[in-house]
Amino acid sequence: MTHLAEGPTRLAPRRGLARLSLDPERGRLPIRYGFSVACVAVAVGAALACRRYGFGDAELPLFDLAIVAAAWYAGIGPSVLAVALSTACFDYFFAEPIYSFEVSREELPNFLVFTAFAAITALFVGALRGPISNSSLWTRHQASSPEQAPAGRHGLLRFLPIATVLFAGATFVADTATPLDIEFATLYTVVILMAARFCSPREITLVAVGCLALTILSFYLTPQGGPAFVGILNTAIGLIAMGLVTLLAVQQKNAEASLREHSSEIRKLNEELGKRARELETSNNELESFAYSVSHDLRAPLRHVDGYSELLKKQASSSLDEKSRRYIQTILESSKRMGTLIDDLLAFSRIGRAETKKTLVSLDQLVKEVVAEMREDTSGRDIVWKIDPLPVCCGDRSMLRLVIVNLLSNAVKFTRMRAQAEIEIGYVDRENEVEVFVRDNGAGFDMQYVNKLFGVFQRLHLPEQFAGTGIGLATVRRIIHRHGGEVRAEGGVDRGATFYFSLPRARGAAERKNTQ
Amino acid sequence: MSELGRILIVEDDPRDEELTLLALEEYNLANEVVVARDGEKALNYLYCRGEFSSRSNGNPAVLLLDLKLPKVDGLEVLQQIRSDERLKMIPVVVLTSSREEKDLIRSYNLGVNAYVVKPVDFHEFVNAIKELGVFWAVINQPPPGSMKKAP
Repeated sequence: MTHLAEGPTRLAPRRGLARLSLDPERGRLPIRYGFSVACVAVAVGAALACRRYGFGDAELPLFDLAIVAAAWYAGIGPSVLAVALSTACFDYFFAEPIYSFEVSREELPNFLVFTAFAAITALFVGALRGPISNSSLWTRHQASSPEQAPAGRHGLLRFLPIATVLFAGATFVADTATPLDIEFATLYTVVILMAARFCSPREITLVAVGCLALTILSFYLTPQGGPAFVGILNTAIGLIAMGLVTLLAVQQKNAEASLREHSSEIRKLNEELGKRARELETSNNELESFAYSVSHDLRAPLRHVDGYSELLKKQASSSLDEKSRRYIQTILESSKRMGTLIDDLLAFSRIGRAETKKTLVSLDQLVKEVVAEMREDTSGRDIVWKIDPLPVCCGDRSMLRLVIVNLLSNAVKFTRMRAQAEIEIGYVDRENEVEVFVRDNGAGFDMQYVNKLFGVFQRLHLPEQFAGTGIGLATVRRIIHRHGGEVRAEGGVDRGATFYFSLPRARGAAERKNTQ
Repeated sequence: MSELGRILIVEDDPRDEELTLLALEEYNLANEVVVARDGEKALNYLYCRGEFSSRSNGNPAVLLLDLKLPKVDGLEVLQQIRSDERLKMIPVVVLTSSREEKDLIRSYNLGVNAYVVKPVDFHEFVNAIKELGVFWAVINQPPPGSMKKAP
């Protein structure tokens, strides 16, 4: 019965007990020490009851249990108190001569073994538990990372395997070579339990097998006193407890190992990800300094080409022939065009680098704003605007504005030759996104070249026909891609064109909050 | 035209310098112009040291500052000016090729008075320089202690 009570309970510090709600962390000192005294008192009571009903020899495991409980729940100080009290009680109630603090010669080794065992138990349980301010082992275990697990072997704990072997040997010697009666099976159980925290599955198994062998051996070697069935029962229960503890310990170890394996895999992936992110950041920085350098260094010589050509024209215009003047004019126009190209390219690269500040954007309002501006610029033309009501989307307002401006100004530009231009803006509702379109009745394009439409500096018309650098649609595509959408176009030569872009739907209160 | 303030141009590129001076000459603003070819020389001028140790005291009415300069760059010059009790009131105009947001933010954070991107187009460039010159050297009332000359 004593063993039965012991085995599973000793397991408890690993799982069950930790969830009980004594909550020592916040417990005040008197409560913690009181708990320690109570534990020992309960152990004394139970042990006396066992002796009264003929089961004998229960005091040792019960005191162990009291010490473990005190060390686990109340911390180092109370566990020392528990050790002292247990030793005293053991001496008084159970060591010959009983009901006296004297210790007989025969009982002295037994008494010393008990004291040593009590101290070791308190020490290791305390170490296992960690500082009392920690939360329960369960959460600590959950939170422990692979780096922390080997750290458990630091300090005193490194010597635990050696200590367990020495202790098991000493118990065996005390149990067989002296006429003492030590609860070896129980002690072994505790030994295995402690080994379970700090040893590998193989080491635990070895310790368990060794303990098992010693148990069986000592059962045959120990002179049997009292009713034979009590000894057999004790041993049998001890064996079962040991087996159970070993099984659980190995299982736990394996689970820990696989957890560690997973953790290390995750860590490896994380490292990889971090490396990628750093690489990306580096290349992004390089790109930025490249753009900066283009912005600053390319413009200066261009300005000089333009400036000195102008000066030359002014200085020598009268003495130059028509052809030379045309050459100078070409230099001037080319430098201006290059200036525009550089500016466009820089603006385009800025879109890729700028951070998107996503809010809820009313496309309806945005389009109306842009159209109102365009109406001013196109007052001389006959343009019929057909604007359907548009939804609210999630995106960067200034970037989406750029999309609308680009698409609408394209539509205005490519309908220039129409007596009456028609530009329609509407949208199609899809499951998770909305697809907005801009349709015109302008010059259109050959669907054969649709793939080239959105490329940087790609143009499907001659500069004489329609001005522009060919960056507008590339900008549109880049912005929409950054919003997680897609762009596409449909058209036919001289039959107008329709440009579509999709945006994720805006829904959810969380997104709504962001707009505030 | 009232008094003419002294303009300190900090510009490393001789061509840009020539074009700038041409633009100022066109409006008779070039007489009171001093050119420093890098940030160090600009600071030497402001502190009357080195080759400028014998110049008459007084701060320029405006400083036209390029950002990308050898040795001490424009932002460092600006920072030095703003952190010095004697110089911090000098109006500083950044005149650069860069329209990068980064440069704009850093310049304004350091307390620049204006930020002008040099236009690539010559006519626009001349126009910009002229307007800058007229505004800062003629129209604007510079802080006390600035060098001025009756026209």
